[in-house]
Amino acid sequence: MGSRPARGRLPVDDPRIRGDQRGEIGMCCEKIEKELGCYVDGELTETRRSAVEAHLESCSKCRAEVGELRELAIGIAGTVPPVAPDAVWEGIERRLGQPADPAAQSGRSARSLRLRGVPWAIAAVVVLAVGLGWFGLSSSDTSAQASTVDFGVLLEALPLDANKAFQRFLVRYGGKPTTPIAAKRIAPDLDFDTPPELPGGFKLRSVFQLRIGNATGIAASYDRDGEFLAVVFHPPMKHEKFGTHQDYPCVIGKHCGHKVQVGDWKLVHLTDATTCHCLLSKLDEKSEMPEVMSAIAPNSRNRFEH
Amino acid sequence: MGCESGGLVVASKAVNDKDLIERCRAGERSAQRQLYEQTSPRIYRLLLRMTGHEGDASDLTQETYVKGFQRFDQFDGRSAVASWFYRIAINEALQFRRRRSVAAAKLVTMSRSQSCEASPPSGADLKMDLQDAMAALTPNDRALLLLRYQEGLDYRGMAEVLKCPEGTIASRLNRARDRLRDILRKSYG
Repeated sequence: MGSRPARGRLPVDDPRIRGDQRGEIGMCCEKIEKELGCYVDGELTETRRSAVEAHLESCSKCRAEVGELRELAIGIAGTVPPVAPDAVWEGIERRLGQPADPAAQSGRSARSLRLRGVPWAIAAVVVLAVGLGWFGLSSSDTSAQASTVDFGVLLEALPLDANKAFQRFLVRYGGKPTTPIAAKRIAPDLDFDTPPELPGGFKLRSVFQLRIGNATGIAASYDRDGEFLAVVFHPPMKHEKFGTHQDYPCVIGKHCGHKVQVGDWKLVHLTDATTCHCLLSKLDEKSEMPEVMSAIAPNSRNRFEH
Repeated sequence: MGCESGGLVVASKAVNDKDLIERCRAGERSAQRQLYEQTSPRIYRLLLRMTGHEGDASDLTQETYVKGFQRFDQFDGRSAVASWFYRIAINEALQFRRRRSVAAAKLVTMSRSQSCEASPPSGADLKMDLQDAMAALTPNDRALLLLRYQEGLDYRGMAEVLKCPEGTIASRLNRARDRLRDILRKSYG
């Protein structure tokens, strides 16, 4: 029979419910069923969402329906997105039939090239760095270098703005926003966690799926009162590039890894059998960093303890 | 949390840089390339799921951007720029499907006239996975489901792309989902 739910509401199929009451609940079920799609899509108003959730507490049939709809949504979403071949742009350019050199269009587009006094090159970098958090770049480099991850794009921009440097890295590797739960599904072979809050009070801001050659990676950004922190997880790679910077061995807890330092910023890499855990932060390696590493690398937790 | 935000509005904040759009409107190739690189992965992915064929998806992606940039002076900036390309892409996919259906029908007619009858595989014997079931949907149903679940557009974004009232999206999605589930159920007996 089962115990009564906390709020005193019995499941609709509980034999203690009278026939006429079951009819009422059935009618409610019929009405609620029509809203379950919107509920799963997150498109209900606050009032309707609460009403649906109240109904779901006592209706296993509708709960099962919600489960099915969610599975369907995940299935339709698919896995790692494909990338348009480079030849597509070449064909577009040919058919548009205009010269590629912007200088050749100066007579027509002088006004469009004037960006309110901002030099064009810097504006382009700003657009790239700030504006591309959603759409990933289609770069032939990412597909060609399947066993290499290049952190140079991140490190070179660090002194200016860490958040923008992170955005550049996301663009480079086709960053696509996702959720912590979906990230686990997308990268089941990686050992990682992206908890809502890290030790030290860093709160999760965003999670991204990455495409590093043929491999899937996950990245996430955190914030503590304006202090930025980012994590990247990817399968162990043959090569990791750091631009003009040098990486050095370091020890975090009981784990040996590597570190690249740019000013106050540290990019620390700790690699185990399945996952390279990368942490970009200003954390102290002895005090705060082991706890944070422990939080993001669940299977290696005991190796980060002091 | 940013990663939970609805589709087109938040996403397109990234690509609605006014200067970039103005430069595209002026025909500046580097700006067009930039906009293409920002938006083409999604457009290509959508077309690949609509057509099921990489070559067709590449061709339709090219068609989408050529038409999109040639008519870019018609983009009024009131909707997200991504919805501009999504709309063209879906129209291209639907027309492509119609052309292909006409061509296939002609092929069947020719085959019959030559006494060459093809016997399609028995549907009852086939186990259908979700991707096969998606392919069996009408292009309109497939577009609805892909825009929502693959591209992550919210209902408002979908209404912008499909040029229909936002209030109709929920019921259209419900029907598309029901048809998809019917196909799946039938394939599993």
